Amino acid sequence: MRCPICQLEFLSSSSPALPFCSARCREIDLGRWLGERYGLLTMPDPEADEEPENDWAQKENSPPVSD
Amino acid sequence: MSPSKNLQNNKNMAEMNQQNSSAGETPDDDPSTDAVQDGPVAKSKMEANDEYGAKDLEHLSDLEHVRERPSMYIGDTTARGLHHLVYEVVDNSIDEAMAKFATEVLVTINGDGSVTVEDDGRGIPTERHEQLSEQMGHEVSTLEGVMTVLKFGGKFTKGAYQTSGGLHGVGVTVVNFLSEWCEVEICRDGHVYHQEYERGIPKSDVRRVGTTERRGTKTTFKPDSQIFSVTKFKYGTLVKRLQELAFLNRGVKITLSDTRSDESETFQYEDGIREYVNFLNRASDVAHAEVLHVDGESDGVNVEVALQYSGEYTENVHTYVNNISTTEGGTHLSGFRSALTRSLNNYGKKMNLFRDLVPSGDDVREGLTAVLSVRVPHPQFEGQTKTKLGNSEVEGIVNSVLGEYLNKYLEENPKTAKAIVRKGLVAAEARESARKARQLIRERKGALSGGGLPGKLRDCSSRDVDKCELYLVEGDSAGGSAEGGRMREYQAILPLRGKIINAYKSREDKVLANEEVRSMIAAIGTGIGEEQDLSKRRYGRIVIMTDADVDGSHIRTLLLTFFYRQMYDLVAHGHVYVAQPPLFRVRNKKETYYVQTEEEMKDQLLELGLGDSVFDPGEDGLIEGELMEKLCRTVAALEDSVIALERRGISLKGHAERQDPETLKLPVYHVFLLGKEFWFTSRQQLDQFLEEQEKTLGRELQIEAGRAAGKSTQDETPESAQPQGEAGKANGKAQPDVEESREELKIRIVELHEVRSINTLLQDLDKLGFSIEALIPQERTGEEGARYILRRGDSETGLEDIRGLPGAIRAAGEKGLQITRFKGLGEMNAEELRETTLDPKNRTLLRVRMDDVSAADNLFRILMGDIVEPRREFIQKHALDVRNLDV
Repeated sequence: MRCPICQLEFLSSSSPALPFCSARCREIDLGRWLGERYGLLTMPDPEADEEPENDWAQKENSPPVSD
Repeated sequence: MSPSKNLQNNKNMAEMNQQNSSAGETPDDDPSTDAVQDGPVAKSKMEANDEYGAKDLEHLSDLEHVRERPSMYIGDTTARGLHHLVYEVVDNSIDEAMAKFATEVLVTINGDGSVTVEDDGRGIPTERHEQLSEQMGHEVSTLEGVMTVLKFGGKFTKGAYQTSGGLHGVGVTVVNFLSEWCEVEICRDGHVYHQEYERGIPKSDVRRVGTTERRGTKTTFKPDSQIFSVTKFKYGTLVKRLQELAFLNRGVKITLSDTRSDESETFQYEDGIREYVNFLNRASDVAHAEVLHVDGESDGVNVEVALQYSGEYTENVHTYVNNISTTEGGTHLSGFRSALTRSLNNYGKKMNLFRDLVPSGDDVREGLTAVLSVRVPHPQFEGQTKTKLGNSEVEGIVNSVLGEYLNKYLEENPKTAKAIVRKGLVAAEARESARKARQLIRERKGALSGGGLPGKLRDCSSRDVDKCELYLVEGDSAGGSAEGGRMREYQAILPLRGKIINAYKSREDKVLANEEVRSMIAAIGTGIGEEQDLSKRRYGRIVIMTDADVDGSHIRTLLLTFFYRQMYDLVAHGHVYVAQPPLFRVRNKKETYYVQTEEEMKDQLLELGLGDSVFDPGEDGLIEGELMEKLCRTVAALEDSVIALERRGISLKGHAERQDPETLKLPVYHVFLLGKEFWFTSRQQLDQFLEEQEKTLGRELQIEAGRAAGKSTQDETPESAQPQGEAGKANGKAQPDVEESREELKIRIVELHEVRSINTLLQDLDKLGFSIEALIPQERTGEEGARYILRRGDSETGLEDIRGLPGAIRAAGEKGLQITRFKGLGEMNAEELRETTLDPKNRTLLRVRMDDVSAADNLFRILMGDIVEPRREFIQKHALDVRNLDV
């Protein structure tokens, strides 16, 4: 696996703080969430807004669950 | 000698020592002896069989003082002090090596527990020492002075050694005094000289014992078991310090051999402490390749620093003063630290790398591996173990030498500079994050006692965890509908909104507000970080419910990423779901129903429209019923692929001209070679072509790493390939001919993936009696009416090609229906939302699997990441690919 914070490759069995390589990286990540530092760029892309294809494409990625 | 007199003399001696060490004076200021001084040089000792006189008592007191209070000279009489004896002797040899008189130092642990230290330096002078002899009133050699008189040494005379090693000021004399026996062999001026001592007292005068071509000093001593509690030397202890000395004194070759075990190691480091830093970082990932290094001098103080950052979180700084490890730090370390912090932070500020956080001194030292070695003429040691440098002037000297170097280095090496500053920033961030996390945990603990659920949460009444569900609903109006439509007993609603942040002028970022993150954590109840406990969850299902638009998909990606990263177990155990609100509401005369996706909607309309439709191809009779449906679906299936092809700038009409008349296949490979274009319908054809070309050209073709698919095909014309070719020629000035022909052998292969499915569907069409021509409007002169006719009941529709067939059928199917496309959850009322999305009887929930979230996380990494890091350019570059990745 690759740690989302430090980008180091590590073995998932070796980490107590998945999906991070360490508790420290997990904590940095939490700090970023709490600090509102993770954002999605709201792209000025009219095509993306108009094309509805995007919206249903994702539904095919996850299998339905019988409920 | 009476005890009282002895005491008196001791006192005198102590005073004298003090004077010497503080003023830096020595009894040995006869210039004629300076040139040959080597290591501590002795003052006096009477002949062994002489009577004790007043002058001799002074010396005896030296010996007695050392033997009575050894700790004052070597720290202690345990293993540490024992090994210290070796270092004292080695120090002298290293001084000789650093002064370029010796190249090699050999240390041998002998079988009888003694140690031999040998160098190939000038050898301690053995001739009569004038001043000393006068003082003592009898003939005394320099060698004997060195071995038997304290504070008698070249290193106490300025100029004898530029960079002296030990400077403990005790030297080999103390080693001799604390040894059961000691012998010194000097090779000098073609002769071998020898003297032996027993517990510090010479057994004879210095004797000349033969001739030699070698030179150097060889000292062997056996520590006195009357003094030391431990007398066995440890190889491991010695090897560690000798290696350290080899690092600190670049170029000097030091060998340690243990005759007891036949172990042996040699150390020699031409790059000195730079190699020391490499050695210290040998098991760590380093943050930058180059070891920063400065060697400077100011006011007679030499400052050498080597440093490199590793991926570790600890600080690993070794400091030395005159080769002595200063484990308690001191003024040199203070100067080092302040220069480092100041230079890095000044650079960071100047380059605008800091926003709200500025790294502290601790932060910039995280992951730092450094060796600081200073050489100070008159060091003052403080602290409990006398390993703390006290000279106040050294702080400023180290500070300015290192600061000056760092400022210049950072300026000239921006890549390394940024890597280092970023590391400090991450450390600062980790510190800040830890603080925030602690605060959050404190708040939550406080919250447990006082209710603590977020105000926006509309909780359910049941406490049956497995049955309870938490809906995270995007937007307040949708939250309202959801609240009205939920199953109050076991469905809870938490409305969430993305927050827009303008971190930069030209862009907006959507984030999850701090408040929202904390609300979710509180509502879900499992805690966060190390305190996570899945069994404390308050709901069996966490359902993400967002609009099916771009905003909704942003929020969904943010939430999925958050859960994946911070509530990993929740996802891993399948507690996270995505709700599937319908996209369409359809009303006909009888009923209202909902359709989930665009595809489903299209499909239904096609089915409705087919009804009793009949297609008149103008010849060979009518197509209806099952055949009609097959035709429509085949054409409908073609549509996406044809659009993909057209997006490349290749029209279906144009491509049809390249159809293989036999197989009816369209070309899948588009090849550019030698300024020409080629098309191939199969890999075999392409391979055959490549083989032929290579044979003809007599060379292997160079496959260009062009993009295999995507928009860029539009300009993949032979013309566009030329500028590249010219650039290549310009580069290959040396041999233009060779370069040119090599250039021409570049081949570019573009694979049109979508044509594969077009080819399959064309086969299907063929079976239905239609060729590719049917898909392309034909130029027709006649006025005989439409090419094809679609009949449905009484109505007739004319078509110029069959591509329009599915659309026409759907349009027919839409008749009598009222179709509403929901633009968002908020457009549904409470009842509708309940019926379609909340009620377990009708709803569709997707369970989020690890694959899905890690895909979301990957997308997240591309799309967002840290707002602080500008990534617009990156996203623009990858925008095309990213679209297909939407989760």
